[in-house]
Amino acid sequence: MKRTLTIPMGSQHIALLEPLHFRFTCENEKIVGVDADVGYVHRGIELACASKFKFRQVSFVVGRVCGLCSISHTTAYSQAAERLLGLDISKKAKYLRILVIELDRLHSHLLCLAHTAENTGFEALFMQIMRDREASMELLELVTGNRVQFDYSCVGGVTRDITTDIEKELTRKLAKLKTDLEELYEVFRTNWSLSLRYKGVGALNAQQIKELNAVGPLARAAGVAIDVRSDTEDLLPWKEVGYKMMVEQTGDVYARNIVRFREMFNSFEIIENVLRGMPQGDLVTETKANPQGEAVSRLEAPRGELFYYIKGNNTPVLERVKIKAPTFSNVAAFIEIFKGQEYASVPPILASLDPCLSCTAR
Amino acid sequence: MTTFLKALGNLFRTPATVPYPFAPTYLPDTYRGLIKHDASLCIWCRKCETACPPGAIVFSQAMDGKQAYHYNTHVCIYCGECVRACPKAGALIQTNEMAAPVTAEAKINHSWNGIVKEALAGREAYAAERRKAAAAVAAAKAAEKAAAEKKD
Repeated sequence: MKRTLTIPMGSQHIALLEPLHFRFTCENEKIVGVDADVGYVHRGIELACASKFKFRQVSFVVGRVCGLCSISHTTAYSQAAERLLGLDISKKAKYLRILVIELDRLHSHLLCLAHTAENTGFEALFMQIMRDREASMELLELVTGNRVQFDYSCVGGVTRDITTDIEKELTRKLAKLKTDLEELYEVFRTNWSLSLRYKGVGALNAQQIKELNAVGPLARAAGVAIDVRSDTEDLLPWKEVGYKMMVEQTGDVYARNIVRFREMFNSFEIIENVLRGMPQGDLVTETKANPQGEAVSRLEAPRGELFYYIKGNNTPVLERVKIKAPTFSNVAAFIEIFKGQEYASVPPILASLDPCLSCTAR
Repeated sequence: MTTFLKALGNLFRTPATVPYPFAPTYLPDTYRGLIKHDASLCIWCRKCETACPPGAIVFSQAMDGKQAYHYNTHVCIYCGECVRACPKAGALIQTNEMAAPVTAEAKINHSWNGIVKEALAGREAYAAERRKAAAAVAAAKAAEKAAAEKKD
């Protein structure tokens, strides 16, 4: 006998990292309809950036949009503001930005993988990943001065330099983290229990990804090779520091985990290259001009393409700041991905999508 | 088999967690902590106040023109913009000390808003007084000039 049930999930739920509300319509165990509400953490940051704060201060305000990709927001905004001001920042500042963005990618991806393991019911793996992740958090604290709010990029460059001591510590801790990750990679690839919950679950194909406009690891796991790092060489020299596109084909939870792991291994290479080839130069390029005109900037945050649009009117306060976060682009895919799945698969799928609602609702 | 041996080995290993607050947690020297102000070096240019994104610094001014620095550790976001804006080396420095947690008794919002309001009003009163004094001086000068002209 077929029975239709409506099951609400969120906005507060044990399997959710962030306030997100889903309403699943299920026929027995199968999900047939999904409704999502993503606007629980709206804080009016865009308006605050365009009314209360001067354009130099805005890079610190947008860093508070998200706790996981703070550096992506500050860097994307700073790049847009630099375009408006016609500033050409030093190569050293660009390298330091890449360093922190990649360290941030490590800790963000590890958090996502840890929660995917936890939502699957593998608590021990969750704890193991969170323990290993601590190394990346400590490195971020060492380089930027804070675990979460990095405040590293500012309009014109970066706020602080790295010393030889920091470099040594980075090399030492990253080597340890890399061996830890190789062990975890093995578990995610070969563990039979995990494969039952991951392989073939929550899959989207390349055609659907393109139709739904999904970005980030979600798209790359389904064989769609899109990454801002591969097509914006003008803002940050990604190819020079050894960036490689990581693509998987199956598009399920398993593929998304593997894409994240492979990206993290690529991050180690990038960080190594950045440290080895660190050029000389100024940290900050100063200017006294006010922003005038319009500019956009794109950056690959851990979750996908982050987009900033800013408009200045030759006063210290901007006229408009528009933030489009990667999760916002992925919401349509979230809804589609659940259709036809078992209700019990919802937590691992949701964690593997790595939703960031603070970014989305701003 | 290796996993099993590892699991057995874990029984004899020390915990990965830190027994905070009985043991210190990881805190690098580069930690961005409290801002320290040195009144003997400060040139009272108020550039830090203008630069501060959340408005955690405000300068008050007494009627004799003497300025005082007020800083709210709970409003501060520890970004270090004030230190970078400071033209005098050493007048503002960022330490690696953590701020104390806030308690209800501190009434931070209420008292801080009061301090800001008072500081701004004090500065306005001082500026008005200065304008008044300047106007009086100008008037006296004009009167003197007029008197001198009359004499001629």
